[in-house]
Amino acid sequence: MLIELKDVNKTYNNGQPLHVLKGIDLSIDRGEFVSIMGASGSGKSTLLNILGILDNYDTGEYYIDGRLIKGLTEKQAADYRNRMIGFIFQSFNLIGFKTAVENVELPLFYQGVSRHKRHELAMQYLDKLGLTDWAHHYPNEMSGGQKQRVAIARALITNPKIILADEPTGALDSKTSEEVMQLLSRLNREEGVTIIVVTHESGVANCTDKIVHIKDGIIGQIEDNREHHASVFGTSTIMK
Amino acid sequence: MRDVFIEIWESIRRNKLRTCLTGFAVSWGIFMLIVLLGAGNGLMNAFMTGSEDIATNTMQVGGGWTSKPYDGLKEGRPISLDDRDVALTGGELFSAHVDQVISTVSTSVTVNYGKKYFSGTLEGNFPARRQMDKIEVRYGRFLNEKDIRDQRKVVVLSETQAENLLGGTTARTGARMGRRSLGAPKETTIDVRPLLGQYVRIGSFSYRVVGITKADRMSDSNLIYAPFTTVKTIYGKGQEIDDITFTFHGLDSEQANEAFEEQYRATVNLRHRAAPDDRRAIWIWNRFMQNLQMNKGRNILSTALWIIGLFTLLGGIVGVSNIMLITVKERTHEFGIRKAIGAGPWDIMKLILAESVSITAFFGYVGMLLGMLTCLLLDKTLGQSSMSVMDEQISMLVNPTVGLDVAVGATVVLIVAGTLAGLFPARKAAQVRPIEALRAE
Repeated sequence: MLIELKDVNKTYNNGQPLHVLKGIDLSIDRGEFVSIMGASGSGKSTLLNILGILDNYDTGEYYIDGRLIKGLTEKQAADYRNRMIGFIFQSFNLIGFKTAVENVELPLFYQGVSRHKRHELAMQYLDKLGLTDWAHHYPNEMSGGQKQRVAIARALITNPKIILADEPTGALDSKTSEEVMQLLSRLNREEGVTIIVVTHESGVANCTDKIVHIKDGIIGQIEDNREHHASVFGTSTIMK
Repeated sequence: MRDVFIEIWESIRRNKLRTCLTGFAVSWGIFMLIVLLGAGNGLMNAFMTGSEDIATNTMQVGGGWTSKPYDGLKEGRPISLDDRDVALTGGELFSAHVDQVISTVSTSVTVNYGKKYFSGTLEGNFPARRQMDKIEVRYGRFLNEKDIRDQRKVVVLSETQAENLLGGTTARTGARMGRRSLGAPKETTIDVRPLLGQYVRIGSFSYRVVGITKADRMSDSNLIYAPFTTVKTIYGKGQEIDDITFTFHGLDSEQANEAFEEQYRATVNLRHRAAPDDRRAIWIWNRFMQNLQMNKGRNILSTALWIIGLFTLLGGIVGVSNIMLITVKERTHEFGIRKAIGAGPWDIMKLILAESVSITAFFGYVGMLLGMLTCLLLDKTLGQSSMSVMDEQISMLVNPTVGLDVAVGATVVLIVAGTLAGLFPARKAAQVRPIEALRAE
């Protein structure tokens, strides 16, 4: 198993203690395309933070590729994030004063890859996502779909074990959303990238092969969705 | 490193006005520091110009009045030095430190040349005086050994005295009080060379002028140098002398000097039947000690100026720190993103620290440069002027500039200051949690 969570608990102590994750058990295998679905307040964001090593958990165990992720120093956590996880965010989170190619290069910069080499690699990934012409443009000169593709290139460049996408279509119109989901799906199919999408949209979840429902901090139903018929809004479109 | 600088440049470029305003405070601080130190140096140099002309390893000794009863004699008795004190000083007892001993005898005289005259002090002296007091001979020569041996009737005048004898004015009558003149000191307009080889009358004898020294406008003593033996013989001074001057070596510390002075005083005092610890029986002017004390004063002044300058700079530093805090606040989301994609705390900290040091150093150097230019300007204007007080020319600032040591010191200060200014904001930046990246803008 690539990802294994065993009885993971998380409580926020802001005034009144809030038990957000109540014993999560979850396994995700290499090459899976999974969505984690839940309403707001269901604990899906907290789960995403823990999966992405952005936050720590109280009890339980979390393994990535057999490695226990617990009690890491900030530096170690940063290093693991850099090498094992690629993030795709709802609001793209590109750095505004850097060009597309510079944004894509950034994770490699923190790995200490030489200027020349990381530029070359970044151009390769942009090319793969059809953005060669936009390499030297700033994010505010690009459309939402283009920005998200730059973000995907940035997530892919370190060749991570997992791609974590947090509401990847949240800021996009339905047409672009579909394109982005198809792109993720293709990456999963053709390159064998493990992708976890966190969403509250059933249409987005329907594009994935497995849907993990989370509610009130507990994993509910795990739906096999290889047929992509889970959407209540139909099978072929992403409803906004 | 190059990447870090590119990042800094991008960050600064986005906030030009803010950065410049903050930088101005730093520039101002360093500017003040440099100008203060430069002016302080100028002031100190002005004080020191008089003493620079004197060899620092000399002591001058003269007779005084006893202040303690001793050996059956009452206090208040005058002590006058004589030839045997000279012999004692140059003798076996002090040979470990004392090198060359000379003495002087002097008397008040009027010097006549034709119809012109002036009054002054005729001082019987030795050729070695020229070295000890660094007397600059403009024309002719100073006294020599042959003058001493043959008791020649020769004199060495100062430029001012020669001017008086040749020019229209008679003796300088002294106090033209408080008349200030800002401008270059008056230069000799009369050629005094014709006086060389001429005879002037002092008392009932004629003396040949053999040398003319540079006018010493800083001093009001109206000395006329003549051979020691000549003056002593003509004015019948017997064994009595006015003062003893000697050069010494091997007394490098304050303690060594004090110990020597004490021993010397005791020895000479006892010879004159005065209490060995009577500090008034003879006076000792140790130029080495004076120099030491002046240096001490100089250090105190420059320390005080450094402190004032650094406090001025502090205002600028707080400004930089403040602006860096705002920057960190503004860039919280960005730092969150950077952390999410793999930046460690140190990577973020480095960014802020480097920016802080860069701003401080850049604007600091601008300030330093302007400060140094101002010092040069001061040197060219105020530094060239002097004022005339009691007929003495007093320069207010002499060479009011700072040296390389101050530039290096200020550079270190800037780098340390920049680091300090950035430290707190940088720590704040490093503490940004990567979850910030997930927060929608």
